Amino acid sequence: MTHTLHRLGDEDSLKKDYVVVAIYAHGINDNQPDSRDKLLRIAEILKSQRPINMINELLWNFTPAIQAVYGDKGSFKAALRLLKKEDLGISITVSGLMSEIKEIAEELGLKLHTVNLSLGVFGNKKLLPSEKILEMTSMCGHHCVSPNLVKNLVQQVIKNKITPEKAAEELSKPCICGVFNKARAIDLIKNLISQK
Amino acid sequence: MIIDGEKCVGCGACVPYCPVNAILLENGKARIDEARCVECFTCYRSWICPEGAIKIPVLEWPREIRNAFSDVAGTHKVTGIPGRGTEEMKTNDITDRYGWGEVGFCVELGRPGVGTSFREAEKVSKVLAGKGVEFEKQNPYTHLIDESGKLRFNIGEERVLSCLIEFKTKLENVPEILRTLRSLESEVETVFTVGVISRFNPDGSIPILSLIEGEGFKVRPNAKINLGLGKRPGGDS
Repeated sequence: MTHTLHRLGDEDSLKKDYVVVAIYAHGINDNQPDSRDKLLRIAEILKSQRPINMINELLWNFTPAIQAVYGDKGSFKAALRLLKKEDLGISITVSGLMSEIKEIAEELGLKLHTVNLSLGVFGNKKLLPSEKILEMTSMCGHHCVSPNLVKNLVQQVIKNKITPEKAAEELSKPCICGVFNKARAIDLIKNLISQK
Repeated sequence: MIIDGEKCVGCGACVPYCPVNAILLENGKARIDEARCVECFTCYRSWICPEGAIKIPVLEWPREIRNAFSDVAGTHKVTGIPGRGTEEMKTNDITDRYGWGEVGFCVELGRPGVGTSFREAEKVSKVLAGKGVEFEKQNPYTHLIDESGKLRFNIGEERVLSCLIEFKTKLENVPEILRTLRSLESEVETVFTVGVISRFNPDGSIPILSLIEGEGFKVRPNAKINLGLGKRPGGDS
């Protein structure tokens, strides 16, 4: 499961995109009687720092993983500070610019454990949509957000049928993990329109 | 998926929601291109049909495997977790799946958003098996191949949104594996992403960076990082 790894975009755009994933180690954490309480506590902490998006609250009691996405370094850092302080023992993985994460980790006294580096996309790249569309669709790492939906909604914004905010909200719906960054999507939609 | 032709009014609202372009509008009705459809159920979950014409079918083998690899809402029977792979490095602070001197790879066929058949994944796994990599035992795709990386079942033409091959190897084998992946670029008919997993050195540096760059690969500036906050029950990280 590498769904938050290959998010595309330039560094300026990725500075507004930080994902946090808390997950049970299957067969280890989930055997403990207090494990659900710990995961729920993590969900509350992540929610308290005003994420742009996060996994639907209705799923908190069933899912083995809690995800949230932040649009600024301050909220992201505040969430990590709280997670470290509460020391709940559930694995926490973050996705974002390496340089920024290293800086925050140093400031908070976190000792980074393991990294998954993205080498990008290979193979028959003629099949891919444009880079700009991919910046949007790769925010749902399971790729449930269709390139055609992006094009369709951008056209509706151009025709003043919907706002960029409404388009971003609609784009976020297929991403049930809650890691689609709606604020970044608004920026990308406006950017797409300005280039037309 | 199924679109109930009796209920469909041909509004086309569902068409753009399909990640693999499998919904066609023909003769005033929407229909599913069954060959393309990966059974991800995204169209159904979008609740976009005003008439409730989109329906989930009862899937039988081998078609059910499309759904097992494509529907993010499902929990895989083998891994016990949602998604197409394992927890990989996300719980490495607890599981030690990738130890010192070991490097993990996540090669995902069909990603981003193109889709793949298992035949394409097999092309990759056969070559990698020949390189002596250790396929991740909990990964769903590993359960579909034999020790030579060949599909154990007649599912080569089944299409999925993506198929994640997870494996690990020794640090010293990384350059050869990277060259192998590069050589596979022209062999596959789809796209694939590559993620490379490593522990951080105690000083915070990454032992594989120079190996990767030495092979001419560029590492993207954004990565996924396990913060080391996980602990085994009653023990340390």
